[in-house]
Amino acid sequence: MDPVLPDEAVELAEAAGKAFAALGGVDLARRAEADAGVRRAEVVPVLAALGVDDLDPRRDPVSLAAAAALCEAAGRVALPHPLAADLVRDDDGRPTAAVPAEVPRVDHADLIDGWRVGTLDGTAGGIATAAARGLGTRLGPFVGDLTMEGDGRPPLVDLLLHQVLVAWTVLGTLDRAVALTVEHVSGRVQFGKPIAAFQAVQFQLADAAVAVAGLRELAGFTLWRLDQAGEQSRADVLALRLHALETARAVLRTGQQLHGAAGVCDEYDVSVLVRMVQPALRLPAGVDRTAAELAEAIAADGFVGLFDHGGAAIGAAR
Amino acid sequence: MDFDLGAEATALRARLRALVSAHFDEGFLGAFTDDPADLAATQAFCRLLAAEGLLTLAWPVDHGGGGGSLWDQTVVREEMWAHHEPRGAQYMGLNWVGPALMAYGTDEQKARHLPPIAAGEVIWCQGFSEPEAGSDLASLRTRAEPVGDPSGADGWRISGQKIWTSYAGMAQWCILAARVGGGERHEGITMFLVPMDSPGIEVRPIRSMLGPHHLNEVFFDDVPAGPEAVLGELGGGWSVIKTALAHERVGIARYARCERLLSALGAELAPHWDDLPAPLHAAWARALVQVRVARLLAYRTVHAQETGGVPDVIASAARIAVTQCDQSVAEVLFSAVEHRALEAKAEAPVHGAVEDHWRYAQAATVASGTIEVQRMIVAKALLRGEPV
Ligand SMILES: Cc1cc2nc3c(=O)[nH]c(=O)nc-3n(C[C@H](O)[C@H](O)[C@H](O)COP(=O)(O)OP(=O)(O)OC[C@H]3O[C@@H](n4cnc5c(N)ncnc54)[C@H](O)[C@@H]3O)c2cc1C
Repeated sequence: MDPVLPDEAVELAEAAGKAFAALGGVDLARRAEADAGVRRAEVVPVLAALGVDDLDPRRDPVSLAAAAALCEAAGRVALPHPLAADLVRDDDGRPTAAVPAEVPRVDHADLIDGWRVGTLDGTAGGIATAAARGLGTRLGPFVGDLTMEGDGRPPLVDLLLHQVLVAWTVLGTLDRAVALTVEHVSGRVQFGKPIAAFQAVQFQLADAAVAVAGLRELAGFTLWRLDQAGEQSRADVLALRLHALETARAVLRTGQQLHGAAGVCDEYDVSVLVRMVQPALRLPAGVDRTAAELAEAIAADGFVGLFDHGGAAIGAAR
Repeated sequence: MDFDLGAEATALRARLRALVSAHFDEGFLGAFTDDPADLAATQAFCRLLAAEGLLTLAWPVDHGGGGGSLWDQTVVREEMWAHHEPRGAQYMGLNWVGPALMAYGTDEQKARHLPPIAAGEVIWCQGFSEPEAGSDLASLRTRAEPVGDPSGADGWRISGQKIWTSYAGMAQWCILAARVGGGERHEGITMFLVPMDSPGIEVRPIRSMLGPHHLNEVFFDDVPAGPEAVLGELGGGWSVIKTALAHERVGIARYARCERLLSALGAELAPHWDDLPAPLHAAWARALVQVRVARLLAYRTVHAQETGGVPDVIASAARIAVTQCDQSVAEVLFSAVEHRALEAKAEAPVHGAVEDHWRYAQAATVASGTIEVQRMIVAKALLRGEPV
């Protein structure tokens, strides 16, 4: 038992953190929102310099961990790039993404010409090309719909990998949101003292931090499960996704709340993180759809733990 | 026991709904958009409401109001908020600036300010919060210095900064809390009525996820104000604020928009209802319960008001439930629209109202006093042995 990421992964994440900070950190997302060209001009070269093009998370456990850590680093600054998808490339170098059954909708759809997409139940998918225009909304500035071009749905395990990497990205966002909130409440003085002095503030911070710690462990466990069990880890991946969505809601709420009115303002990083993480939380499916899919997956495949749950053995008895 | 608001309230509700649907299309999301036509539409609607005797329904007859009952006022609040507040920026003037003027204003101030508010012709903004004075409002620092006579008889010069001032860029007048003399905390605070086109006032919009106009910074640099600008006693501003907040007791009827959106989205999703995930069906049902409880706690506050004054704790309890309801319903609606959650404006679910609601809800537990402050009020009352 060793729940710690390998050194190589930690080192890559540190290098990425520095490179993203040099681009302005969360400011990069603000600049990309004003000028979408920033993504290609600034983010793509930095990722290339970090060796993303040669990193295949399916190669070995260390590469898998490195990809996860890299996604976490990206989430910390709401990196305006579909990194999780871009790390799961098909043989022709197309990024792989899990999409809703209704429409092949992804974040940063316009940034990459060809995509390989599929639904998480493994029943539909194929090759798709980017549409010209995104939604351009406050909560999904870069979200766009792809056009399905041809057959060839991605292997389920690739879609699961994509979802695990998305969860690691969300983890980075949440971890950063807690850090920003700690910083804010330590500096913000009301009633003659930093608001961090109030237990009502401390308790909220503590709950948020524990929630992120829990998500981090689950994200690590799921990475390991995916490596061990491949497409048999579908329930585990859905469990991670469900927990990431629920943790995001609670942690981001706390982060915004403890910032007061500043928590909804563009000038404050926490507010930008909240907006930019929305595509990851809503696509390919939100919390209730994910919970339903998880329940079905557990019933079908079981759920590893200290005792038996669902799966063939239990299913036969029903 | 009787939870029916009565035939009059039902008729009033129907009348308001008819007026709203006749004057706004379904895509109306309030006055605070990038499209100036939305503000203009609300201004026109206010004039119409004024002509129909509905704008100042809540005001006492002595002040030209309709003398409507608290339950009439409740219906107006619910219907207006449910339909994206078609009175636009007016509601602050109507809800508490007018009543505060009635309570504290001189005859001249009443004569000057009440008629334009009653006619829906003027927008007021509220200059309380400052960069260093949020939850701790009594620490505000904006100062008013007398010019000439120390009593202020020759007028004032006001300097300082306000923040989070809603629709400051649209407002003609500001009700401003500033410090006079050497008093500490609550003591020196004085209310001023200041035209927003006074020299020395600068408004800077704050970009936020709520959308345009909601939040602004307002800078006061040696802004001149006459002696007639003071509302109430010098140093008596805190009681004006208390009265103002008392008129905001029940707060915004957020639960009404929550319920309207659950209804409207429910209708939009009806053809595919059975395809929605089972946990969503359950979440939807819980949301309806939460909305009902929030409404009932708001009604409890109105009832207390009707039967002799509202203890802070009753109003705060309602506010806590209502603002939490706003945020959980926002999540349920977003979950229900699934991959369409991030779409906005006319082509989005319920004409963009679901997305708009989600963004706006993020500030629900902060605006007009944070949920933590409300919780402290409830807890202190409990510890004093008062019932909640
Ligand atoms: C949409 C919106 C519209 C607004 N419109 C106006 C307006 O028109 N005019 C105006 O004057 N103001 C307006 N405000 C400002 C509003 O009143 C303040 O935001 C609010 O009072 C909180 O102050 P703050 O933002 O400075 O947060 P802070 O007071 O800095 O609070 C930050 C966090 O610390 C918590 N906290 C503070 N003190 C304590 C304590 N003792 N114990 C536990 N927790 C504590 C708070 O609850 C919050 O979670 C508006 C705000 C919003 C969001």
